[in-house]
Amino acid sequence: MSTKQTWLAATPGSGSVGPVEHLRSNGDLEEAAGRRANILLVDDRPEKLLALEAVLGPLDQNLVRARSGKEALRHLLREQFAVILLDVAMPGMDGFETASLIRQRPQTEHTPIIFITSINDTENHIAQGYSLGAVDYMLTPIVPEVLKAKVAVFVDLFKKSEQVRDQARQLHAFEEAQHRRELAEAVDRLEAETKRNRFFSLAIDMLAIAGFDGYFKQVNPAWHKVLGFPEEELKSRPLMDFVHKEDHSGTLREFKRLMLGSTTEYFENRYHCSDGSYRWLGWTAAPFPAERLVYIFARDITNQKHAESEIQHLNSQLKQRVKDLMEINKELEAFNYSISHDLRGPLRSMQGFACALLEECSEELGEGGREYASRIVSSGRYMDTLLRDLLAYSRLTAAELTLSPIDLNALLADVIEQLQNEIEEKKAVVNVEPSLDLVVGHAPTLRHVFGNLIGNALKFTDPTTRPQVRIHTEAGTDSVRVWVEDNGIGIAPEHQGRIFGLFERLHSGPAYSGTGVGLAIVRKGVERMGGRVGVESKVGKGSRFWVELAAAPRT
Amino acid sequence: MNSKPVILHVEDDPNDVVLIGLAFRKADLAINLQVVNDGEQAVQYLSGEGPYADRHTFPIPALVLLDVKLPRRSGLEVLSWARGCEQLRRLPIVMLTSSNQAADVNRAYDLMANSYLVKPSALEDLVDLVKKVTAYWLELNVKPLIGEDEGV
Repeated sequence: MSTKQTWLAATPGSGSVGPVEHLRSNGDLEEAAGRRANILLVDDRPEKLLALEAVLGPLDQNLVRARSGKEALRHLLREQFAVILLDVAMPGMDGFETASLIRQRPQTEHTPIIFITSINDTENHIAQGYSLGAVDYMLTPIVPEVLKAKVAVFVDLFKKSEQVRDQARQLHAFEEAQHRRELAEAVDRLEAETKRNRFFSLAIDMLAIAGFDGYFKQVNPAWHKVLGFPEEELKSRPLMDFVHKEDHSGTLREFKRLMLGSTTEYFENRYHCSDGSYRWLGWTAAPFPAERLVYIFARDITNQKHAESEIQHLNSQLKQRVKDLMEINKELEAFNYSISHDLRGPLRSMQGFACALLEECSEELGEGGREYASRIVSSGRYMDTLLRDLLAYSRLTAAELTLSPIDLNALLADVIEQLQNEIEEKKAVVNVEPSLDLVVGHAPTLRHVFGNLIGNALKFTDPTTRPQVRIHTEAGTDSVRVWVEDNGIGIAPEHQGRIFGLFERLHSGPAYSGTGVGLAIVRKGVERMGGRVGVESKVGKGSRFWVELAAAPRT
Repeated sequence: MNSKPVILHVEDDPNDVVLIGLAFRKADLAINLQVVNDGEQAVQYLSGEGPYADRHTFPIPALVLLDVKLPRRSGLEVLSWARGCEQLRRLPIVMLTSSNQAADVNRAYDLMANSYLVKPSALEDLVDLVKKVTAYWLELNVKPLIGEDEGV
């Protein structure tokens, strides 16, 4: 192919033309027409070659010389020629022999050959030339104009056919590119389809396409996994066959809506399984009325449904339990009442009669008798206190507390007033810091709490020490800690954990008497107000009790 | 005729009857203490029926000390009955009970009890209580007209 020849590239006017690999524009075709064609001049005598060159020079084509038939053949192996001017009478391989070899090669089978001979020869000669495929025959002396015109015709012919070949090549390249493109698109489509199919077959959710005729057209493997029916069966029976009887009307209604073109946002129904059980499916669906198809996305929600009904069951159980508990609470309140009335009644009688014995029959009793009667009286008094504390504790458990902002200074003044007797008796100093932080609480319960804490602070002091109680608050982010600090006997670390328990007492005997209920009331009361309680203490150094409550919002 | 003012004590618990009697004795008050043991007897006494028909022996009291928990008819029922009675509706009735249940307290006041007292456990406190009650209701308090005298 001439365009690939390197010597052409080096030749002015054709250097920019590269190999034909891509589709070329029309401009490229015109350039091909303007390219120089090769003309092979074959003669053993240089002066004749020179003469030929002189004649053909004005054609402005590539003139390639060959001094022998062999050289000519070499050129023809490498390049394409528009026309060959072949001298008949050459030493060695003559013109006819050369032409014969030229014609044997398919590439040069049709290359035009013009024989030139100086021998004014016979008809036979000419006939031989033509039989070897010569297109023309020129006798010397050559008429330059005639030769030039003839060669020009062949050059033109060559260029035209070259142009046609180029066009054919380009057309071929174009068709090939188009074909490749179409092929690539088809491959892409196939790939996308394959991927979609993978989604379809790998999805955990149940995907299906159903026809308006009420049959599944396509179901993914999830259907088989969930329902147990083989795909073929699912597609061969009306899909309503698989729907639980009780859900038929609802499902039909939904399907009709779909056929009218509206999308199903969410729907639940039961489907039969091959093993006779059924599963709950929750699904969405979109209709494509033009194709008379419904695209279905379903999910097995059976476990979720069971969990829901389990929750409902638990809820109703819980409600029943709350009801039971409320009844038990009522019974407890009734029990409280009977303690307060029925149990305290006889106790009062025992105390009363013991008192009466001491007062009315003091003489007859004698010292021993009076001692015993006194013990009855004090035991009775203790039991009475115990019952009263227990009642207070139980009431705290049952009572409905309405919380509100509390001015602690006013409340504590009230509590301290109530404890005035003990304070005077012990010559105690109770110091409440002014402007304590406001807390959220229940006033009667708080009175109980601080009454017990301050009462304890007064009580648990060494008899030789004058009790000093200090009350102050410490504001947190949204809570307030109320401190009740004393200089009392303190609590050993190992006991600090249990002092808030019911009936926990650290001391026996008359010095620090108590029922073991006071701090239990404190803790219960504070907890019922949503707060916390605690203590920091060292034996002999006093105790610091704290109560933490929600801070009242500032107004 | 006994000229001392009558206090009717309605009490089912025999111990309390004795103890309160003892307290009155120790308080050394010039009163005539009458005792009945249940709500029905209280109604009979106040209306002068049955064994209490004789008003000389069983005069209309100047004050009733009424327990809340009573057999047959509760103290609150007796109270309610008395307040619905033309002749007894102004009669000073003081509840004297061991119950300090808020429900009982409020109900008693709703039914127009004049006062509500809880029995103290110590004898000396009981003596103190009967002294104060008597002093207040029989001496300090201005008595209303009760019974047949009404409307005169």
